[in-house]
Amino acid sequence: MSAKFPLHLLSFLFVFAACEKDKPTPVVDQRAYSVSTSGNIITVRNLPGDTIVGTTAQGQPIGAGRYSFFSLETGQWIPNADSNSARWDLAFAGTILRVNNATSGPGGGGAFVYNGTFESLTSVPTDSTFRVDNHPISYAITRGSGKAWYTYDGPTNLLTPIPGRTLVIRTANGQRAKVEILNYYRGGTTPSASSADSIKTRDQRFFHFRYSKM
Amino acid sequence: MRHFLFLFVLVFSTVASSAQLDSLRSMDEVVITATRQERRLGNVAVPVTLIQRQQIQQAGSLRLRDILQEQSGLFITSGFGVGVQMQGLNPEHTLILVDGQPLVGRTSGILDLNRIAVAGIKRIEIVKGPSSSLYGSEAMAGVINLITENPGTRSLEASLRYGVGNPDQGWALPFASTSFQQLDLNLQAGYQIGKWKLRQSNDLLFSDGISFRPFSTDRVPRPIRRLTHQTTLQRALGSKAEFRLLFRANQDRIQQEFSVRNNGQVIDSYGREQNHELNLQPTLTIRPTEHIRLHTRGYFTRYVGDQQLNFIQKPDSSYLDRFEQDLYRIEQQLDWTRGASDLIVGLGYQSDQARSTRYDALSSRKQNRVAYAFAQWEWRLNAQWISIAGMRYDDNQQFAAAFTPKWAIRFKPNDQWSFNASVGQGFKAPDFRQLYLNFTNNAAGGYSVYGTQDAIRIIRELNRIGQIAELKPEFDRLTELSPEFSTGMNLGAEYRPSRTVHIRINGFRNDIRSLIDVRQVATRIDGSQIFSYLNVKRAFTQGVETEFRWQLKTSWLLSGGYQWLRTGDKDEWARIKKGLEYTRSSDGTSRVMNKNEYVGLPNRSKHQAQFKLTYQPSETRFIFLRCLYRSRWTVANSNGNGVHDVQDESANGFVQINLSGGLPLRKNLQLQAGIENLLNHQDISYLPNFPGRNLYLTLNFKL
Repeated sequence: MSAKFPLHLLSFLFVFAACEKDKPTPVVDQRAYSVSTSGNIITVRNLPGDTIVGTTAQGQPIGAGRYSFFSLETGQWIPNADSNSARWDLAFAGTILRVNNATSGPGGGGAFVYNGTFESLTSVPTDSTFRVDNHPISYAITRGSGKAWYTYDGPTNLLTPIPGRTLVIRTANGQRAKVEILNYYRGGTTPSASSADSIKTRDQRFFHFRYSKM
Repeated sequence: MRHFLFLFVLVFSTVASSAQLDSLRSMDEVVITATRQERRLGNVAVPVTLIQRQQIQQAGSLRLRDILQEQSGLFITSGFGVGVQMQGLNPEHTLILVDGQPLVGRTSGILDLNRIAVAGIKRIEIVKGPSSSLYGSEAMAGVINLITENPGTRSLEASLRYGVGNPDQGWALPFASTSFQQLDLNLQAGYQIGKWKLRQSNDLLFSDGISFRPFSTDRVPRPIRRLTHQTTLQRALGSKAEFRLLFRANQDRIQQEFSVRNNGQVIDSYGREQNHELNLQPTLTIRPTEHIRLHTRGYFTRYVGDQQLNFIQKPDSSYLDRFEQDLYRIEQQLDWTRGASDLIVGLGYQSDQARSTRYDALSSRKQNRVAYAFAQWEWRLNAQWISIAGMRYDDNQQFAAAFTPKWAIRFKPNDQWSFNASVGQGFKAPDFRQLYLNFTNNAAGGYSVYGTQDAIRIIRELNRIGQIAELKPEFDRLTELSPEFSTGMNLGAEYRPSRTVHIRINGFRNDIRSLIDVRQVATRIDGSQIFSYLNVKRAFTQGVETEFRWQLKTSWLLSGGYQWLRTGDKDEWARIKKGLEYTRSSDGTSRVMNKNEYVGLPNRSKHQAQFKLTYQPSETRFIFLRCLYRSRWTVANSNGNGVHDVQDESANGFVQINLSGGLPLRKNLQLQAGIENLLNHQDISYLPNFPGRNLYLTLNFKL
């Protein structure tokens, strides 16, 4: 504790000083969709994936069934009108992730889950197999708590991406990319277990992920 | 309110020093649990904690939970009742006995400590470390043995207690509708009819509930009425034999009002719970010669738990739950002293029966019969060395047999120092739930849990009619469950530099294997999961516990303790050491988890400390202060990696201060007052049975 204190103080002063200098810089909206690039890693924030629009008769929150299509090659959110094209590589709707192949799209996409950190995956292992979607029964990136990229806890109603799970994607045009899902909630922070269900419902299905081409 | 405070102040301000504290006989106190024979505490080779009735009374304890929460090395857990965690092991691994016979009626392995009244209990003996070599199943972490009062002289004791609390406001107004109130009535009498000596204890506890959770109708603690009756009968048969009968009955009536959340939905339940418990224990002790004792013990216990719940959101459905357990036991024990050796051999047979709505049908009675034998050889080599070797064999009808040996030695080179070492095996037999549970939760996704005895048959049948989509590899590993086993080691030293100072240190390590855990074994075609029980986990717990007692002058007693605890799942730990477990950096990206980020098993505090101060100038005049501390404990995995680490959600550590005092009013009348949780610590999420500051006033009458 005592060792940490001066550090905190220092960072506080630093932030203060930084704020003073960079006054004109517009404040980044932490809750808005954004794409940023650092080196060869592209980070996408707050990409909505079929966000909640209402509740079922049983009181379960539901979305409108609207996918968000994303192109890993161009780093762009693709309009839904282009869903039946090879312009997108990864589509998001709640816990469903789809790749552009077979029953999901006209492209040559595929995916598998690699157990290990994003950095540790430098090339696609030669013995790996890309899986394809069999929409709506099964997906290349398996749905379900603990199966591919997330865990879900019923009592707290929270979804958490599993650390150390990297998605290896074959794009619609056959290129390779690695993707790490970082967070599932608007703003990039998972709500606390004790926060109200209304907040957990409102803020869920906002994807934060980083990727790079391989 | 003002009256109440005034009385309290009075208790503390009018103390005068005169008589002497009589609680420092620790060395000569007799314990029975460690060796199944009466032994001086100073001659026992395993860690034993002794709680005398005086301490129970002065602490103002009503239920077993109240007094155990103030003991070094024990943690109170909540969920399916209040349980106790010893040496870092779960509540299901501590055996709870009354006069040496086990209490039954556990829910999910937890025996609710609030069910057990401590009125009529003479002393509580806590033996730490595996004790299955003497007591069989469940004695993995240790044994808590409640020794009932012996019938003897004519006596009459009565007490009336009123307690009040208000978690929202901190200080409570007595008799106010917003307060949480408690009333306890206790009557104990000893008398003699002809050659029969009798002792009775009756306890009645009323407690109204209180809601201190925001936006919730939960009342925790719940409105409860508890009634406990205890009768002990004793009669000498000639000069060489004695007959004793213990009868205990307990009845609880609990009003239930609670909310369950799942998938963002809330279901409010209301209803009632009723528990009945009965214990009957006849014992015949014969001493044909000075060196031989023969104990014949019978035991019958019955527990019935009955729950009925209705749901506000689903008015047309209800939940009915009934669980009945009966245990019959007969046991023969021979104690034989020969020279420097004490030999114990024993044989027993028991039938454990249960039926429940949680199994396939309430009408189908499940049974496990166990025949067992145990032996112990205590050998005093010389004045310095004692060796105790013991073993037990349990032959189970329903699953594999268990053999549990133990060896302990004590070395006492001089009056100041003594050293103990022991190593032993502990086991816990699979319980009825793990063998026979037949539960389908239609509300939360339709998952099912089947006990292993039925799982294979049910899943094969479902598969035959085409209802199974996938059989997991775990399905092929479903076989007969075997008991959970542990190996425990304890290494301790005691130091007594003078008659008034006593310091004790004990290190322990428990290695637990074939722990039973719930695993998914199959998936139905509609995607719902089927679970069953498998012997799959391995874990360890280790730690160091220290205690001290120091008598200052004649009327002051200072004591304290500290425990350091480390636990872990062995498979998780192996993966962490290989760099196969991951966590997240502050920027949200994944990285390999460091070894020092692992916190081990959840719900364990690394540090626990306590400090107690007694000032007792006379028998009925005292002040007793207890400060209890436990450090933070991890409650849930919140970063998705499946292991418990420093990033996960944890409950905050806290200090609890309990204070009580006594004051004689007249010759036979004593007034006792107390404050529990003086600092008003509350944790709505993780300490649901801990309702803030509570004040009480007790009037004790003793003839």
